[in-house]
Amino acid sequence: MSTSAFEAFLARIYVDPSARARFKADPFAEASHAGLSPDECAAIMKIDWVGLELAALSFAKKRHAKARSTRPSLRARVQGFLCSVLNFFL
Amino acid sequence: MNVTKDRVGLGWRPDLAASIFERLESIDLLEVIADDFFDGSRRGRRALKTLSSQVPVVLHGVGLGLASCESVQSKRLDKMARLFDEVRPEFWSEHLAFVRAGGLEIGHLAAPPRTSQNVEATAENLSRAISVVGSKPLMENIATLVDPPGSTFSEAAWVSAILEAVDCNSLLDLHNVYANAVNHGYDAREFLKKIPGSRVRAIHIAGGKLISAPDGSTRLLDDHLHDVPDPVFDLLEEIAASSPHPLTVILERDGAYPPMPQLLAQIQRARLCLERGRARHTATQKRFA
Repeated sequence: MSTSAFEAFLARIYVDPSARARFKADPFAEASHAGLSPDECAAIMKIDWVGLELAALSFAKKRHAKARSTRPSLRARVQGFLCSVLNFFL
Repeated sequence: MNVTKDRVGLGWRPDLAASIFERLESIDLLEVIADDFFDGSRRGRRALKTLSSQVPVVLHGVGLGLASCESVQSKRLDKMARLFDEVRPEFWSEHLAFVRAGGLEIGHLAAPPRTSQNVEATAENLSRAISVVGSKPLMENIATLVDPPGSTFSEAAWVSAILEAVDCNSLLDLHNVYANAVNHGYDAREFLKKIPGSRVRAIHIAGGKLISAPDGSTRLLDDHLHDVPDPVFDLLEEIAASSPHPLTVILERDGAYPPMPQLLAQIQRARLCLERGRARHTATQKRFA
């Protein structure tokens, strides 16, 4: 138990809403399709479904916040665009 | 790390920088998020070195993902090692969490299934981290909204097994303990009794908020956007009453920043909790002497 495949499956249902929806619709099929052993499939089917949704939502917010903080500011993007236009004509 | 007395500090955040410098005499140390400086400019790293020459600094990692069956990424370890070398912090810390798997970045700290295989893999990752960075990290317990499926260890047993396997000390996040206790239905004080108290060297305190779940229940979200609640201060006193070592306490706040006096009041309250706990510790020792 707790193989890399199991962690990878958890990561997928945390970050990918469509994978999570497929897992909710047919947990065993989705888990076994991902290569989990019968024991691992049985274990993951006992997941706290409410906790899963809340955790996925919380992770998504964190990813969006991180993406916002690492994205260049509007001013930097405008400056970059103007530089590339100038470079093109010079 | 040669700490001789209890201290209380604050998590360094750029938004708080000016207020921190104004009130540096009220803050014993600063905790800096290491990952923010991994790819930072030379100027930023120089500023961090200057900061560490003015006030004790500790580095806190959030992205290594050491508690995983996947191997920790070498490039991230190298970045941590380089920063550690440059800043020479009193200590560094990381989380008992996985943050990526199967090529996917989760974006935050996730609890892995707590199994013997995970304990072995985490110990291996930690040993590599210790070897590359050249210093043992303090390992922090995390808050989780979903109890990891497939777990065969309780959280306390899992944390203890990993610390034991690599002979590491811990950074105990008391709001994470409190949040998990609320969300997964156990007694936070009982949890504290089950982890090796002699390995606790540092403490995080923070606040969170109750969120509504689709089934009508509520869960406690560890968002670091709110003041430290009373139960967390109570847990701090408990730890101070039992810990044989000096403790380094860090107040974490990641946004919705209140005026600095409000943060300093929480730092001061933490100091009082430590004093009360230590007084209890001394009284107990005298009773059994």
